[in-house]
Amino acid sequence: MTFHIPGALRQFTSGHSKVEIDQSPDTVADALLALWTLYPGVRDRIATEQGQVREHINIFVGEENIRYTGGLATPIQRGSEISIVPAISGGREILIK
Amino acid sequence: MIGQTLGHCRVLAKIGEGGMGTVCRAYDEVLHRDVALKVVKKSDRLDPSASQGLLHEARASSSLAHPNICTIHEVGETEGELYIVMELVEGKSLREMTGDAGIPPESVLRYGVQIASALARAHDRGIIHRDLKAANIVITPEGLVKVLDFGLAKKVGSAIFDSPTRSFATLEEASSVSGTLPYMAPEILRGAAADYRSDLWALGVVLYEAAAGRLPFEGRTGFEVSSAILREMPAPLSFPVPPALWGVIQRCLAKEPMQRYQRASEVLAALEAVQSAATVFIDQIAERGGPRTVAVHSVRHASVKKGDSLLLIGTTKGAFILRSNAQRSRWDVGGPYFHGHSVYAMAYDGRAGQHRIWASTQSPWGTLLRSTDDFGKSWTNPQQAAIRFPLDTGMSLKNIWQITPGPTDEPTVLYCGVEPAALFETRDGGETWSLIRGLFDHPHRPRWMPGNGGLALHTILLDPVNKQRIYVAISSGGVYRTEDGGSSWTAQNRGIRATFMPNKYPEFGQCVHKIAMHPARPERLFLQNHWGVYRSDNCAESWTDIANGIPSDFGFPVLMHPSNPDCAYIIPVESDEFRCACDGRMRVYRTRNAGASWEPLSRGLPQKGAYETVVRDAMAADSSDPVGIYFGTRSGQLFGSNDEGKTWHKILEGLPSVVCVRSAVVEGTSDGSVRTLPEKSRGISSSKKSATKRSATTRKIRRIKRG
Repeated sequence: MTFHIPGALRQFTSGHSKVEIDQSPDTVADALLALWTLYPGVRDRIATEQGQVREHINIFVGEENIRYTGGLATPIQRGSEISIVPAISGGREILIK
Repeated sequence: MIGQTLGHCRVLAKIGEGGMGTVCRAYDEVLHRDVALKVVKKSDRLDPSASQGLLHEARASSSLAHPNICTIHEVGETEGELYIVMELVEGKSLREMTGDAGIPPESVLRYGVQIASALARAHDRGIIHRDLKAANIVITPEGLVKVLDFGLAKKVGSAIFDSPTRSFATLEEASSVSGTLPYMAPEILRGAAADYRSDLWALGVVLYEAAAGRLPFEGRTGFEVSSAILREMPAPLSFPVPPALWGVIQRCLAKEPMQRYQRASEVLAALEAVQSAATVFIDQIAERGGPRTVAVHSVRHASVKKGDSLLLIGTTKGAFILRSNAQRSRWDVGGPYFHGHSVYAMAYDGRAGQHRIWASTQSPWGTLLRSTDDFGKSWTNPQQAAIRFPLDTGMSLKNIWQITPGPTDEPTVLYCGVEPAALFETRDGGETWSLIRGLFDHPHRPRWMPGNGGLALHTILLDPVNKQRIYVAISSGGVYRTEDGGSSWTAQNRGIRATFMPNKYPEFGQCVHKIAMHPARPERLFLQNHWGVYRSDNCAESWTDIANGIPSDFGFPVLMHPSNPDCAYIIPVESDEFRCACDGRMRVYRTRNAGASWEPLSRGLPQKGAYETVVRDAMAADSSDPVGIYFGTRSGQLFGSNDEGKTWHKILEGLPSVVCVRSAVVEGTSDGSVRTLPEKSRGISSSKKSATKRSATTRKIRRIKRG
């Protein structure tokens, strides 16, 4: 699966705008854990110290915002593409298990 | 040649031998200044008409007034000697600095922006450099770039070629071509005339060489070098060079001129965009012995010297560092740092000989504590946020409102006040922070209420005599004090009114906007409340209303004079509902009798239609003599007084909304290095050395010149 990394976070992914995860995580939460195992600097930019996705950060699987598809429990398929996008405004917090 | 006079310049010493001839230090007997004097080799002269051409072009170049261009003062010929008098630039060439390892990407960007800026100015005036190369670029000890020899290459001929060029015998037309082979654009090698875009090719070579420590096109002979320039692609640059910087270099090195940037200003904009995008990394472990960090670099930097005054300005969209000399009447602007991030807290830490500036940044990506040891040229950007609520608290950091260095003799201790209201402490210089549980577990905490700006611990005052005593102020919670270094805390709000509570004098819950303590008389504190101005002379055991004769007792900042414990400053606003200067008149109020009476200070401040707001941390005093007072407004104006408030002048306008102002005076140590002293330190040097060259400033911000 592939993560699309926004410009603000590429300093923590060795400059990569795309990060391929060579695993098959079941959920977005698992995929994110794999991402910040690889690039630890990304973790605190996306999530609070309590494991919640930051209020103004959105995560999309394909074209779907996970706020409407089960949050971090959203299942992902092999080959899924996950985008991390700062929100224009607002949004509620999502709990990472 | 030593002792000889050319024109009105007396030759003092030979500095070096350049491609064009001998370079000497000389003294201008008329203008009384040191200059560099370049005497063109006789063998390099062309016929008389060509010499006239050189003179003409050099005179045109002398019109290029730009901080990054070495100024040509004069070109002349006397007794058969053709000479050029120019600004004496001391420093190292970029070639010397680059070595074989290259320089860090942030330096490439910093220098690249200045070189591109110089080229943009020259191109605007129709002047092409024609021989831009790392050896022609000098970096002064202050980090200022000076590009040498503008416009001089064309008329001088082939002899300016460096050694690779001399082996460049395969092109018969070499004698009509100017430049240095490894920096020559393909079209020049094909015999075309140089234009702006061949300068941009050379800039690409310079940037590549600086980043990689090697030239993009190499070869054992001139033929191999020229062949590589014409046909090969340079080896890609990878980490730590940001991809965006590599992209700029690649476009400069497009073989076809049409595929390159067409103007130097485009390269300048592209390099600035790379800087702004904060995509530069350096591993600072080796440099600092600290945690792994990523440094972020911004657009402009103030060049700070010993004796300078500094202002740190935090805004809702980034931070700025301003410097001035001891007069504090003109300010150079560095920044904006942290584009788009709110910076609610900044602080100096001048303890133990360091000159560290701290800043908190808040954005959708979280809140971080950052620091710089080089006045903003590089900032830490930790992989992991060091200030974080423990898991068991269930809380997440929203903002850092206050950064307070600890006692002078404990230089690794600092405190941060945060939102949601809590106090954090580090004892290792900021690498690890811990929540002060004594305050967090206080039984009052669940009943604190957020004010308009959130539930924030925004003020931390350390008693300089009793190190176990610390005060904090919370909106809305009130004043709390510890007498045991933080283990236990008591509410200290006796006499402070809470207009919004049924009980107007509760034990806690007041919306205290700011408190200030006098360092020489720490039992005395002043307090600006959400309605009410107070003083305590007994370590906050009780408070007395001192709002005597001010137009409104609603306001945010309160500041103490650094040496007079009876003197304090406030900026009243009309009311809770209308938090703007009373009657649209911008006035600072000062007491010099501990609050018995207040006087308005308005000379130089707008007195009509100025519905300004100054928030709690947007006011600061320095410790020079006379004391400087500074404040910033929500509308992005920055005002200053260098006579303790008697007269004011506008320092800047057009800033984002100002939420933090801090000041300090920079002092050098006995070994000549530079360090800063915190604003409240005593015995500050008031060096009156004149300000050095102004650094570039942010163009979108209007600097206000005093009349």
